[in-house]
Amino acid sequence: MLIKKSSSASAAPVKGKLSGILAGATLQTMDRRGFLKASGLAAGGLAAVSALTPAMVKPAKAAPSAGSNIVKRKNICTHCSVGCTVTAEVENGVWVGQEPSWDSPINLGTHCAKGASIRELTHGDRRLKYPMKLVDGKWTRITWDQAIDEIGNKLLEIREKSGPESVYWLGSAKFSNEGGYLFRKFAAFWGTNNIDHQARICHSTTVAGVANTWGYGAMTNSYNDIHNSKCIVIMGGNPAEAHPVSLQHVLRGKEKNKAPLIVIDPRFTRTAAHATEYVRIRPGTDIPVIWGLLWHIFENGWEDKEYIRQRVYGMDDVRKEVAKWTPDEVERVTGVPGEQMRRVAETMAKNRPGTLIWCMGVTQHTVGTANVRALSILQLALGNIGVEGGGANIFRGHCNVQGCTDLGLDVTTLPAYYGLTEGAWKHWCRVWDVDYNWMQSRFESKKMMETKGIPSTRWFDAVLVDKKDLEQKDNVKAMFFWGHGGNTVPRMPEMKTGMEKVELLVVVDPHPTTAAALPDRKNGTYLLPACTQLETRGSRTASNRSLQWGEQIVKPIFESKPDHWILYQFAKKLGFEKEMFKNIKIDEGEEPNVEDILREINLGTVSIGYSGQSPERLKAHMAHQADFDVVTLRATKGPLKGEFYGLPWPCWGTPEMKHPGTHVLYNTNLPVKEGGGAFRARFGVEKDGVSLLAEGSYPVGSEIQDGHPEFTYGLLKKMGWDKELTEAERATIEKIGGNNPDAVSWAIDLSCGIIRVCMEHGVQAMGNAKARANAFGLPDPIPVHREPIYTVRRDLVAKYPAMADRRDYRLPHLGKSIQDKDLSKDFPMILTSGRLVEYEGGGEETRSNKWLAELQQNMFVEINPDDAARLGIKEGQDVWVYGPENNAKAKVKALVTPRVAKGVAFMPFHFSGFWQGVDQRKNYPPGTDPIVLGESVNGVTTYGYDPVTHMHENKATICRIEAA
Amino acid sequence: MARMKFLCDSERCIECNACVTACKNEHEVPWGINRRRVVTLNDGAKGERSISMACMHCEDAPCMAVCPVDCFYKTEEGVVLHSKDLCIGCGYCFYACPFGAPQYPQVGNFGSRGKMDKCTFCAGGPEADNTKEEYLKYGANRLAEGKLPLCAEMCSTKALLAGDGDVIAQIYKERVTRRGYGSGAWGWATAYKTGSSV
Amino acid sequence: MRLFHLKRTIWAVLALGVMIAFAAPQPAAAQQVPADEAALLQQLKGGPVTGRVSIPDVKSSVLIQPQGREWRETLEGPVKSFGGWLLLVTVVVLAAFLAIRGRIKIDSGPAGRTIERFNGTERFAHWLTAICFIVLGLSGLNLSFGRAVVLPIIGPEAFASLTTFGKLAHNFLSFPFVLGVLLMAILWIRHNLPNAIDITWIKQGGGLLQKGVHPPAGKFNAGQKVIFWFVVIGALTLAVSGYILMFPFYVTDIAGMQLAQLVHAVAGVVMVAIILAHIYIGSIGMEGAFDAMGSGKVDLNWAKEHHSLWVQEVRARGAGDD
Repeated sequence: MLIKKSSSASAAPVKGKLSGILAGATLQTMDRRGFLKASGLAAGGLAAVSALTPAMVKPAKAAPSAGSNIVKRKNICTHCSVGCTVTAEVENGVWVGQEPSWDSPINLGTHCAKGASIRELTHGDRRLKYPMKLVDGKWTRITWDQAIDEIGNKLLEIREKSGPESVYWLGSAKFSNEGGYLFRKFAAFWGTNNIDHQARICHSTTVAGVANTWGYGAMTNSYNDIHNSKCIVIMGGNPAEAHPVSLQHVLRGKEKNKAPLIVIDPRFTRTAAHATEYVRIRPGTDIPVIWGLLWHIFENGWEDKEYIRQRVYGMDDVRKEVAKWTPDEVERVTGVPGEQMRRVAETMAKNRPGTLIWCMGVTQHTVGTANVRALSILQLALGNIGVEGGGANIFRGHCNVQGCTDLGLDVTTLPAYYGLTEGAWKHWCRVWDVDYNWMQSRFESKKMMETKGIPSTRWFDAVLVDKKDLEQKDNVKAMFFWGHGGNTVPRMPEMKTGMEKVELLVVVDPHPTTAAALPDRKNGTYLLPACTQLETRGSRTASNRSLQWGEQIVKPIFESKPDHWILYQFAKKLGFEKEMFKNIKIDEGEEPNVEDILREINLGTVSIGYSGQSPERLKAHMAHQADFDVVTLRATKGPLKGEFYGLPWPCWGTPEMKHPGTHVLYNTNLPVKEGGGAFRARFGVEKDGVSLLAEGSYPVGSEIQDGHPEFTYGLLKKMGWDKELTEAERATIEKIGGNNPDAVSWAIDLSCGIIRVCMEHGVQAMGNAKARANAFGLPDPIPVHREPIYTVRRDLVAKYPAMADRRDYRLPHLGKSIQDKDLSKDFPMILTSGRLVEYEGGGEETRSNKWLAELQQNMFVEINPDDAARLGIKEGQDVWVYGPENNAKAKVKALVTPRVAKGVAFMPFHFSGFWQGVDQRKNYPPGTDPIVLGESVNGVTTYGYDPVTHMHENKATICRIEAA
Repeated sequence: MARMKFLCDSERCIECNACVTACKNEHEVPWGINRRRVVTLNDGAKGERSISMACMHCEDAPCMAVCPVDCFYKTEEGVVLHSKDLCIGCGYCFYACPFGAPQYPQVGNFGSRGKMDKCTFCAGGPEADNTKEEYLKYGANRLAEGKLPLCAEMCSTKALLAGDGDVIAQIYKERVTRRGYGSGAWGWATAYKTGSSV
Repeated sequence: MRLFHLKRTIWAVLALGVMIAFAAPQPAAAQQVPADEAALLQQLKGGPVTGRVSIPDVKSSVLIQPQGREWRETLEGPVKSFGGWLLLVTVVVLAAFLAIRGRIKIDSGPAGRTIERFNGTERFAHWLTAICFIVLGLSGLNLSFGRAVVLPIIGPEAFASLTTFGKLAHNFLSFPFVLGVLLMAILWIRHNLPNAIDITWIKQGGGLLQKGVHPPAGKFNAGQKVIFWFVVIGALTLAVSGYILMFPFYVTDIAGMQLAQLVHAVAGVVMVAIILAHIYIGSIGMEGAFDAMGSGKVDLNWAKEHHSLWVQEVRARGAGDD
């Protein structure tokens, strides 16, 4: 039998952490068995498995010896929105190892394939290494100075010729809060609202739908809170692949409470595999399914009548619509048998509180906002909002898509959902300490300053449409892809043309992305290497609204730079850096101070309570992660006792007010000061004589024991509470108010005095209203089913037509005119799309990671075995997928599987680098091509936009599949 | 004495492949070598189960029995390791292994095999603990550092358990009792003859 | 033991000749499997548990293959004991034969004149095959029995080096070995077709058992014909199974690989036993026999005694005598 060749400690350790241990004097005399025992470790990692508190038993940590220069640094995974802490071991500036982050109450040490391989990103030999530009079709290395100079000159030229609206700033959900905020601010200082990011294509309809229902556009509870759920429903989401670590909480809820797990999806996903009940629906029929469930709930009186009376407006209007969705009609439209619908409805009604989770299967539709609204209404009917274990748990997509949405990377609003009104601009000008008139001068006009921009789903329409159809001075001439894939939006053939037509195309990204490889351009493309968030510091907001501070793990690799550095360079070149960075210190190396940026965010984001999360508080949370309870997210000990992990917004008032953050939104079971609340009074106090304010429902300890409007200085005076303001607070309010200080609302009170005083009285400054089942003002105030505009069910088109053609967001918006054309003969199959666990978003980053790329080497289309047999298609064979627009086609591998129903095909959306059968590897700058390339699903997807947000239709279109 | 074992709770496994990339990350396992993999049974239909599989460090390890050069050895914790210096790449261990654990780098044309590579339970190989030589051949030696295998430690849903066989069996039993169902600890009965009643 | 999926394996063996790429086994998409391990294993009756993996390595889609255990038991049990006993018995029988019968002399004594029995090409073919076989046989035996016999003597490092060298030699010498066998087959096949004379030869035990008995024989007597066919068929079997092993999983799955290994092991040890006998009779067992493959020229009297018909034939052609 063999034994160790040598028992002596050796030389030249390969991983520094190992050297540290070996050098440890205590260990030199101890064999590893002895060490194992001494450390008590065998129980260490496992304790986290069995017990719910990971902090109960710590895995042994071998103390690094004096000679070791290993440092542990904590950052947050840069992939999905779960917000897993990543613990890095760094030696001599190199990230050498990764350890489980046991202390994090969110991931409890765990990761998914992406998180467990994230170290590779900072080694990234496929990263973009230095600035490059396209010169006569050849990629040429340039310096940062040259890049900023040339791009800046071109921008100024375009500004001169076509105006500021002709530059499109497409930002990223992968920015830190500070980077994202700065990017939004930058666009404002440049003078356009043509600024957007991935939220448009993932949850813009959620934000619109949910905010229009009860106030805020965010997940109401948290991943952890699912431990409290008695029933878990996942509709149009596949968190097992998209948010794998969330499944830990889902499955624990399922096991602990014996909670039914119901998955409603057209596709039998990896999530469905763990469901107690799987409901297969036809893509694009979410509203009939939801109304079908409500039909049974209303029919049997299972709704929470008292909750509805107190806290919901307009439910009777919903009843009228729901009454139309009899079990027979639901089955005819959706394919779900009535008996199953009844069973699911009963399960949901009888297991409360229940959580409802949805993702892009619900949002990415021409009726996305209506889908979201219907789901919100379902939860309201069951009284599931504002309670632990309940909630509309919307799993956001990217690591900071919640934060970047909150910070206004959006064509419709300034940071913190203030909108684009004059009042909003004035508020932010006060925060930025710039003159409102000067700010207005940056824009083409006051009108354009207050006009919604062009959504990212349609930026290329703004390049291609006739100028007279576009409500701005000129077409888009310059396009920035700043951390956004070029393959995640439908109609790529047209987008390709758009990319070719712009005068300037700038990609700022760690990778060259599709935007660099796809368009047939010879000049005028620039690639600027941004670093990842692992290479800088800052905060990011997880899906549950918790902010987490990430430390810089390693310095930006190669010549890559953090976003805020690049923005500062551009601001300098474009001549507004003095105004823009007035209150932000510029550190060594011309890097804007990240903490200062967060402090500015804190100052301005009063309305959503991003005001209390100072850098100091966030850093303290990261340092004391282990003190937080895994279910309640509340610190049970230590200096942060009583606070919720990551100070989930709203964290009211200034950092000094020490609001603990809000774990569960609209939760009346807690005092406002301790994280409780009620629905926001956002839509006035009454509608057509009916009150919109809550009736007899209020947060515990509220001195106003009924609904009330949002607070102004005037209302504060009326209540007689204004005397409790400090002199400084009063001065600030009066300065803001000018001639009419009484009109100063809590949301623009930069002193946060109104909030503070309200909290002292147990009152929520943003009011206490009803949630709106009837969201008057939206295109469909009560959601109605509308067939997808590309549908194979022609028999349903007449009864459930698409919305009439209209205009919005500066552009024409077609619906009915497209739906009227019957293409179902040539394109008889439904095409839907979704995620794979190994890749993320456009996939450039993850397909460049060798550990992930190996796991998914080919783009594919899932086809039901019956369809495959009918079409003569075998597993693994090449097939052509044809789309109904622009002769679109894609050559991919067939994956024959019953995951999809007969007549439905599914394609993942992370691929690019093949175009209509042609390999584009040579188009990438040498050495930066992702390891795995493939056709993009959006090469064949089609037109179709939600009327409220212009979210694209990516889940229900049509196609034809043929063997290649 | 702790007897190290793996256990995959397929009621929890979601095929997220964290175990696979954690392994690659920790040991810098090259492309094409899959010390750990996730297999999905009954894909896309009711009863679908995913199971993470690697060397199970069997009680009566078939690889050890059939190796023509006797390059395997078992540590005191029951971890089955091997010496790459002795391995001749014959492939017998792969034929014998119930779990498809042994992997071979292709060193020439036509699939001629190099020295076998497999899961070490993060316990390295015959070289001195945590030396460069050991790392290059077998990867990190976490056990010697007092840590458990990274695949299990990072498992997104805590489906994959690694550690003292008695402890993980107990955790699994408690789970099954609490939730009232379990589809078996896959591979457990095949790998561990004694104490396999899970 | 059940010999796996014999049909598929036979097909796979045949396929080697035409090098048809083996279609990957269909993933378990369509099959309805129980979600419980114990129930599933029972339903599969010891067959492999197969699922879907995203990596392109088809082998990895097999989650559990219980037949590995059967392969191991067969190899370590029956195959190795059979092989060991066969070799032992062969050596003992030959030794006993030598002891009892002694070296078979030329009854009429050497004539002093020789006749050419095998020309250069024939001898080249023979020795090419022979030398390769010796190395193949020894390295093969080492793989099966070295761990028990050689390793304890020379230690693990030396044994591993030796075995590595043996494996390389085994792989590379297989090509000249097959070439040699093919050459011999072409050169000698017409002399090795069975005919009526063989019956007499066999009835008389080839004259090996008694002094002075010399049944007539052509260029090859029935005993040599048996060896010839054993060599040709044995080599073919070894080649097919060996190349399947050398190019793993190109033409078959794990069950096929396991079967190929067992076939190779059994065929190999049988061949070794036969060739041992062949070597015995061609060297120490019989006076004058070695010359046939040594110089190629045999004593005329030896030739007359053992291959009378061949001598007549050669003389009729007016050749052969020196």
